[in-house]
Amino acid sequence: MEELLTLLGDGHARTIEHLAMELDTSIEDVERKIEFLEHAGRIRRVVFCRGGCNGCSGCSTKGSDGVMCKGCMPENGFQNMGVMWEVCKA
Amino acid sequence: MSQSATIALLGQPNSGKSTLFNALTGLRQHVGNWPGKTVEKKEGSFSHAGKEYLVADLPGSYSLSANSDEEVITRDYIASGKADVVCILADSSQLQRSLYMLADFAGIDAPCFLLLNMADVAKDQGKQIDAEAIEQKLGIPVIPFSATDTKAYGGFYEALDRALTKKARLNVEALSGQYDSVKGFREICSLIPEGAIAGYSPMWIAVKVIENDKVVLDRLRNAVDAETFGRIEQAKKDAQSAVETGGCKFAWIDEVLGSAVTKESKKVSLGRLDRIYTSRVWGKAAVIFTVLFGLIASFIPALPLMGVGSVILMAKAPVGNALTSIGCPEVITLIVTDVIIQSFSYIFKMLGFVFGVTLVFGLLEEVGIMARISYVFDNTMGKLGLQGKSVMPFLVSFGCTMGGAAGARVIDNWGQKVLTIALAWAVPCGAAWATIPMLSSIFFGPGAIVVITAILFTMLLHMWVTAKIFGSRLVKKEERYGMIMELPPYHKPRWRALFGYVMGRTKETFIRVTKVVLMVCGLFWILSYSPSGGNGGILYRIGVAIEPVTKFFGMPWQLFLSYVASAVGKEGAIGVISALYNGGSYGAAFTQAMSGGGTAANLSEILLANVSRPEALAFIFAMTFNMPCVVALAATYQETHSAKWTARIVLYYTVVSLLLAFAAYHIGLLIW
Repeated sequence: MEELLTLLGDGHARTIEHLAMELDTSIEDVERKIEFLEHAGRIRRVVFCRGGCNGCSGCSTKGSDGVMCKGCMPENGFQNMGVMWEVCKA
Repeated sequence: MSQSATIALLGQPNSGKSTLFNALTGLRQHVGNWPGKTVEKKEGSFSHAGKEYLVADLPGSYSLSANSDEEVITRDYIASGKADVVCILADSSQLQRSLYMLADFAGIDAPCFLLLNMADVAKDQGKQIDAEAIEQKLGIPVIPFSATDTKAYGGFYEALDRALTKKARLNVEALSGQYDSVKGFREICSLIPEGAIAGYSPMWIAVKVIENDKVVLDRLRNAVDAETFGRIEQAKKDAQSAVETGGCKFAWIDEVLGSAVTKESKKVSLGRLDRIYTSRVWGKAAVIFTVLFGLIASFIPALPLMGVGSVILMAKAPVGNALTSIGCPEVITLIVTDVIIQSFSYIFKMLGFVFGVTLVFGLLEEVGIMARISYVFDNTMGKLGLQGKSVMPFLVSFGCTMGGAAGARVIDNWGQKVLTIALAWAVPCGAAWATIPMLSSIFFGPGAIVVITAILFTMLLHMWVTAKIFGSRLVKKEERYGMIMELPPYHKPRWRALFGYVMGRTKETFIRVTKVVLMVCGLFWILSYSPSGGNGGILYRIGVAIEPVTKFFGMPWQLFLSYVASAVGKEGAIGVISALYNGGSYGAAFTQAMSGGGTAANLSEILLANVSRPEALAFIFAMTFNMPCVVALAATYQETHSAKWTARIVLYYTVVSLLLAFAAYHIGLLIW
């Protein structure tokens, strides 16, 4: 698993498929390692703020519950963007 | 019933634990809390073959580390010996992954057996699992199982009985052999006496010490003498970490599964599309051309609504005539025709593009291309001094700059966040993507495609230059870590959902745009209105006075005011155009309206007669790269918490948009 983290040290982004190819292993293996590293706090899932975030007070038509206006950030927009993980800095 | 036994159910979330628990106990269950904790405790009972069983459904967790109360409660319950047997559930469809719980359990002293749940799913995947081979390696009963198939629980009862009778213990020899390769493990393990913490083996404790498990370390401190603990701590300092012990667990799982799991092995390869879209060489070009092609394609669904806009305008003359004939005051007549009807004509034309652009971007996201954009531009972000995740706010900014500014919240470094927002301003928002194609098609016809292409490339150049200008002050060169991305598979769009989304968004935009355009148009119309019918409106006088300056940037005063209004919102610019170009010259417009004719002239013709092509080009560039809107400005201040930087960004964008207008005008003069 250390080799996975070492690979990421070069600053390039990789898809799970690319990682599997570079580490000469299966996609399932990469997936379980990602899951482990996430639980171990070595990598972090990037969570994007989208509709429903609080603190969107700049929006002119903001609802009372702090939900971003639909015109700005549609409810069903940006759902199929995949998942990103970044390495936690030591 | 003479005998009874307690079963503890252990498994990761979604391993089917609850299904099994409910199937076994039915209504005979109750829910409480673990003593002193807010963690839910589920217990129940059932009887089988004359024997009474108690079942404890332990909290589902990834592993048995000390990351959460749930995990500590779970492992302590098992180690306490309160359960006569532990039933461990794993997901057969992904054994490599879900046996991690078993590997983390190994070393806790309790009889157990393993259920390879969801055997049906694994079978459908074409996996063949030899449970007997796994059983031999593990030394505990192992059975393929399907918790949802409640009629086929025979194997479960049989394995339960075997585990109870034999008091089956997990064979951890091979796992211990794996741990031997971890630096520090042998030494720490040898320092821990048998039974130091009741229920846990020295191997298990040593691994948790290496994994820096605070709960175990505290207990160990009390269990051994100070000198031994000091030596353990010393050995821990030199030892490797949780990554290595985790690696050992996976290696052990692979060893256990070995030839027991057969599946048609497929070599990992990229799909045909991904070979292009995720290519380091072709990816960027492929993505840019896809987006460009999408923008151009958005003209197709936009055209019918453009037609609706023109039809609305045709109503201007008859409505004007009708109102005049019934003796309606001229001001009212003019408001209805020049403000309301004309504005709606523009609104519908814009709406066509809102629909088209939303559909195209929605489609790109649906099929999975949008997610690939983040991947392809990760490297570029690095060159701009940003993290790869900055791409997301940029993509959101295609819809709304405000959303982009809020999305920048994900960036923890302040400087990078400010830079991301500053660059997001250069991305034309949804309102801009409605106005640019509309105006371009009025002025340039099919040439609009060239204008859109030029805008897209100017955007990229603008972002690059802006990053170079602001970057040095905002971001320090720092070590960059790579990212992992799970890209969604390409799939056919779900048209129903997509259209629902596009229609919803078009409707929202229609409401917003209508409000802004009518308000701005009304305001500017009033300011430019002169009852005398001459060129006496306040705005006209101001306009003529500033025109020498605005002409320098290639814009007549009307377009310049429209540019200023675009800072409020891009649709505001259309309101101004609608008010100020309402049919020939201003005085003439009035006379025409009075006589009830002439204003039916096509909107495009009116604009074309009054604005030259280089002027239009200058305006389109100025408006597109002007500050996005006032709410984006507020959001920028809110996210950056810096009035200074917000002001800098505003000033910079104003200057750059005027410079771009100047350049576009002069290029336009060379062409036309």
